[in-house]
Amino acid sequence: MGNAIEYVKMALKNIIANKGRSFLTMLGIIIGIASVIMVMSVGDGTANAMNSEVANFGTGQITIYCSEDAVNMQEWITPEDLQALQERIEGVDGATPNDSSSGSTITGKGEFSLSLNGGTEAMQKALNYNIKRGSYFTAIDVEEGNRVCVLTDSDAKRLFGSDDVIGMDIEVTINNISNNYRIVGVTQQKENSGFVSYTYEGMPVTLEVPYTSFLSFGWESDSFYSVTVFANDKASGEEVARDIVHLMESRHQCAGENYYQIQSFQDIVSELNGMLAIVTTFISCVAAISLIVGGIGVMNIMLVSVTERTREIGIRKSLGAKTSSILMQFLAEAAILTIVGGIIGILFGLLGAVGACKLMTISMGSVIHPGIQVSTILGATFFSCGIGVFFGIYPARKAAKLSPIEALRRN
Amino acid sequence: MENLIKVQDLCKIYNPGENEVRALDKVNLEINRGEFIAIIGHSGSGKSTLMNMLGCLDIPTSGSYYLNGKDVSAMNDNQLSEIRNEEIGFIFQGFNLIANLNAIENVELPLIYRGIGRSERNRLAREALIKVGLEKRMHHRPSEMSGGQQQRVAIARAIAAEPPVILADEPTGNLDSSSTQEIMDILKELHNAGRSVILITHDDDIAEQTKRVIRILDGKIVEDYYNN
Repeated sequence: MGNAIEYVKMALKNIIANKGRSFLTMLGIIIGIASVIMVMSVGDGTANAMNSEVANFGTGQITIYCSEDAVNMQEWITPEDLQALQERIEGVDGATPNDSSSGSTITGKGEFSLSLNGGTEAMQKALNYNIKRGSYFTAIDVEEGNRVCVLTDSDAKRLFGSDDVIGMDIEVTINNISNNYRIVGVTQQKENSGFVSYTYEGMPVTLEVPYTSFLSFGWESDSFYSVTVFANDKASGEEVARDIVHLMESRHQCAGENYYQIQSFQDIVSELNGMLAIVTTFISCVAAISLIVGGIGVMNIMLVSVTERTREIGIRKSLGAKTSSILMQFLAEAAILTIVGGIIGILFGLLGAVGACKLMTISMGSVIHPGIQVSTILGATFFSCGIGVFFGIYPARKAAKLSPIEALRRN
Repeated sequence: MENLIKVQDLCKIYNPGENEVRALDKVNLEINRGEFIAIIGHSGSGKSTLMNMLGCLDIPTSGSYYLNGKDVSAMNDNQLSEIRNEEIGFIFQGFNLIANLNAIENVELPLIYRGIGRSERNRLAREALIKVGLEKRMHHRPSEMSGGQQQRVAIARAIAAEPPVILADEPTGNLDSSSTQEIMDILKELHNAGRSVILITHDDDIAEQTKRVIRILDGKIVEDYYNN
């Protein structure tokens, strides 16, 4: 083994002497490793971004809705229930009915369809927005049934060409009845929420209004199909949900009838996580394929380069090289090539991942950090290098075991 | 003193069975130290097979082969590599230099496999190249040299480690007549310096320049005589 330095020197000499072939070998390894690191990092980064966004979006929200049985029995949720939920259950910050209606309006920019979300002032907790101008409507607005509304800055621009619209009126028409709503607040999309609240041109303009204002259109809001309760950070969502059902059942004397059902945001998050897992699996498959393709590339170039050097192996053996000496030389060559290729591959992979995430951040308006995992880097590197070394040595071993005259005969 | 080479009943049979080819058929041969021998025969006569056997490049089917007192016919692959390294210097018809190594690196190769340190190796390789008259070509690659010069590098490689036997397989087969004479002169010098040289050739003119001629035909030695 004292000759190890000699073998490394021989290997380096050969690598430098065959620049083209060495480069091609490394290219296979570089592409294999870089593509896996890039694909996995971008995939993980996207999944993480979606996950954290979803997590920000709806924690602590619990939606109660009436089951089919309750609807058949004409059991609804009443404003008094809403009041009781807020007053009697610990850990509840607020509650709002989920009342909605659709209508239309005509402004100087044309005719727009409207989606009106009626609720209490607590509805602002559900927002994925910050208040940009004005303020949200208040408990007094809800109590008095004032026709006030809040909308996003992008919707304001669609309707009026500007988001400086506080104090302006929108004429809302529902079922041929028209009423003016005064704009009291303009909201702005939070940063890093590109996935969840993506809007496009054809979508109706959304107005958030006190549910009591629907009285102006001739219907009284005294029963709701569903309400949303906001639990505070300290409260356990499950406990609050259980308490809510308990309270509702005792108020409506329907214990055990399953009239009131709960959908907490946790359920939605876990559903979304399930979808993300499918996406991640898909990404892993793509990565595995690129690893295999890279590995085959390395294998081919190694096989070719060793085969074309059978004669050299014959010469070395005739001069007294043992099979093990030949193997050491080829092992050193394969190791140097794969290590250098591996390092370059890792660098390109990381750069590529950062670059791709920058591009996605710019194009989607949502910040994505590459989810670089050491296990991915190590896995890809070991796999490619393993293939490189194996297919560098395996044919060399075969050639070294040939009798020297046979190896010398090959050209 | 025992013989340098002693071959007894050496057989090499290809395709044993119905279509067997007896490349060597019970060859007996003794060669002493310091001899200058030509093994001569037509192509297909078995002379290359004999050369491969003597050079420990191939294993005989039967018979025994003692090289420098060691029973080579019973050795395994690794031991044969060692024997080739220590006992034999090869000169091939096709030179068999490694293309991306320069002259001095090619000459150093057998010394590396022998485990000789760098400075000693370099000294021996330089000396050998000076002996064959290539002191000005030490850092040239094979592709930058003529055929005759390449064969001189190969001779330097064969003698650098001072092996007891120099085995030359048609060393002038690829060369023009003036290069041929250069190479023969070097081989004669080596002989005069006390080395044992075995030359395989099909050319009677070359054989005449040696001291002893062994003619081989159909795997058998048919003539064994000394030149005047």
